[in-house]
Amino acid sequence: MSAELLLSASVMGLLLGGLYASVAIGLSLIFGIIRVINFAHGGFLMMAMYASFWLWYFFQINPYLSIIVVVPLFFFFGYIVQNTLIKPMFVRERALVVEPLGVLLLMAGFDLVLANLALLFFKSDYRAIVSPIASATISLEFIELNVPRFIVLVLSFIITGGLTWLMNYTEIGVAIRAVGQNREAAALCGINVYKIYNITFGLGTAAVALAGAAMVPFYYVNPSMGLPLGVKSFIVVVLGGLGSIPGALLGGLILGIIESITAQFVTSTSAVIFSFLLFIIVLFVRPKGLMGIIEA
Amino acid sequence: MNKTNKEILKKFREGEEKFLLGKIAIIFFAIIFLIIPLFVRDPYFLHIFVLVFFFAYLGTAWSLVSMAGQLSLGHAALLGIGGYTSTLMFMEWGITPWLGMIFGAAFSGLVGLIIGYPTFRLKGPYFALTTIAFAEILRIYVENTEIGPFNIPLRAAMGLLVPLKGHAPSVFQFANKEAYYYIIFAMMCGAIFLSYTINRRRMGFYLAAIRSDQDGAEALGINSTKYKLIAMIISCILTAIGGTFYAQYFRYINPERAMGLGMSIEIALVGVIGGWQTVLGPTIGSLLLSPSGELIRAYLGGTYAGLHLFIYGLLLMIVILFLPNGLNDPIIKALKRLNNCLRRYPAKKELDIIKSKS
Repeated sequence: MSAELLLSASVMGLLLGGLYASVAIGLSLIFGIIRVINFAHGGFLMMAMYASFWLWYFFQINPYLSIIVVVPLFFFFGYIVQNTLIKPMFVRERALVVEPLGVLLLMAGFDLVLANLALLFFKSDYRAIVSPIASATISLEFIELNVPRFIVLVLSFIITGGLTWLMNYTEIGVAIRAVGQNREAAALCGINVYKIYNITFGLGTAAVALAGAAMVPFYYVNPSMGLPLGVKSFIVVVLGGLGSIPGALLGGLILGIIESITAQFVTSTSAVIFSFLLFIIVLFVRPKGLMGIIEA
Repeated sequence: MNKTNKEILKKFREGEEKFLLGKIAIIFFAIIFLIIPLFVRDPYFLHIFVLVFFFAYLGTAWSLVSMAGQLSLGHAALLGIGGYTSTLMFMEWGITPWLGMIFGAAFSGLVGLIIGYPTFRLKGPYFALTTIAFAEILRIYVENTEIGPFNIPLRAAMGLLVPLKGHAPSVFQFANKEAYYYIIFAMMCGAIFLSYTINRRRMGFYLAAIRSDQDGAEALGINSTKYKLIAMIISCILTAIGGTFYAQYFRYINPERAMGLGMSIEIALVGVIGGWQTVLGPTIGSLLLSPSGELIRAYLGGTYAGLHLFIYGLLLMIVILFLPNGLNDPIIKALKRLNNCLRRYPAKKELDIIKSKS
């Protein structure tokens, strides 16, 4: 393997990693604060991509412009999902820590509902937009860089930076962190924990919707695309450290690069094995991940 | 066990013995299922019942792990291991699947040990995520491997066709559906009985303690990893035997169906909707889900693809939100209430009223 090939594979991996990271950040945020695994994360991504796709299909709205509509829409969608589906489970337990497996199963059911609703209404066709943007490339010396993919990579840094800023420099961010650190103490300080949960879930959903809308120009939309990407997101957040937002970015980039480089040696479908293997190794060697804040 | 423990156990079993109606219901259903093939000859109808028993069997095996408070979303991998082991041994060396089944079960038990040992020491959802990862690794590997290590012909995504031998009971092949019907029915009864026995014995109490409060159980001296592992290994062995049945019944096994995430979720769905962590829950779940899913797929699958999974998902959400112990709970409760009415067993309140009046 020549150095040039390795370099180009790394760049491709970086682009792929940006995609994984931008999808996984929302999941990591939700896990870090609410401590539930959102199994429907892939389903949310699929829905956001469909929303962006249909906006383009019917109204010729550029996917990047559709962000203005899709992101707030999905913030409220996430807010409502947490408020109507997950909150009752916390209330039932009469404690702020709910059995995580119950919510995981609830969201797995929700994922099945979403994916199969999409299948019922949109059929299993692969859909993609036709736009000059989709095939725009920047020519570097050794590699052709696909612009929409590059935008997603940049976006993954923007989402990370934006959320980190929100968490550190705004009142609501500080409240969210307080709830994530110690719910009881936060509640005693007068923070409405359920409202913070709703907002956090909304933010996580909005983040994945943002990634989804930006993926539409180069990624096929299909009802069954959610679960594989959702599972990939679990790997990313465990690799980076459950609950850490910069960890999710790092985990995504590492995963993308590893998959891209191993794909040089084996078929790209087999290369996915290595990401799962990496996941299991990290779990055994360092269960809290690279930048984890939560002890396993 | 010291004396007080024995007394508690005795009381527990006495309470069980008073529940006569439950026993009658089980015997009633067992007899119905036993005589169905004598009256019904329609192969499709029998096929649906085979599916009901098959998923009830897998769900019961699966629920052994959830009894230890762990959620497995990768049981399809064990199903695939069982099916592939027996089928490959039959194809390559002509070893009867009856024997291959045992090798598949042993292999699967070993795999369960390897997955369970490191993950059971972690808390939270790590076990569920690891099982997904493991099943996906296995599926992708088999899907992309034409010839595996030691020149094993895995045939990649094509899957394995079990060589047809006609009506040959010695190699687990039968000309009629009735034979498969009785085999899977016996397997289901065996799994339920095993689960029932485990629940009545010391291990069942240990598992219940671990799933409700692991730290508390450990403080009382229960080796939680050990009992979780035992539950996991038994579950893996049972699931692998189910895999051999799957391969022999459909005479075909492929990685996408037998090892895919879809199958894992279907097994878990049957268990959770019926009542995970209960003995009869998975059977109740399968009795509800398998026929409805199969009929929807057969009659509406063309125009409304995905409808049955949509309904499964909705049911799962409803059950988790409103019946955390699954459909098993209300059914058993209703039966018990009926049982008490029939026995004219005066409840404590009524006794008090009678006493106060006299």
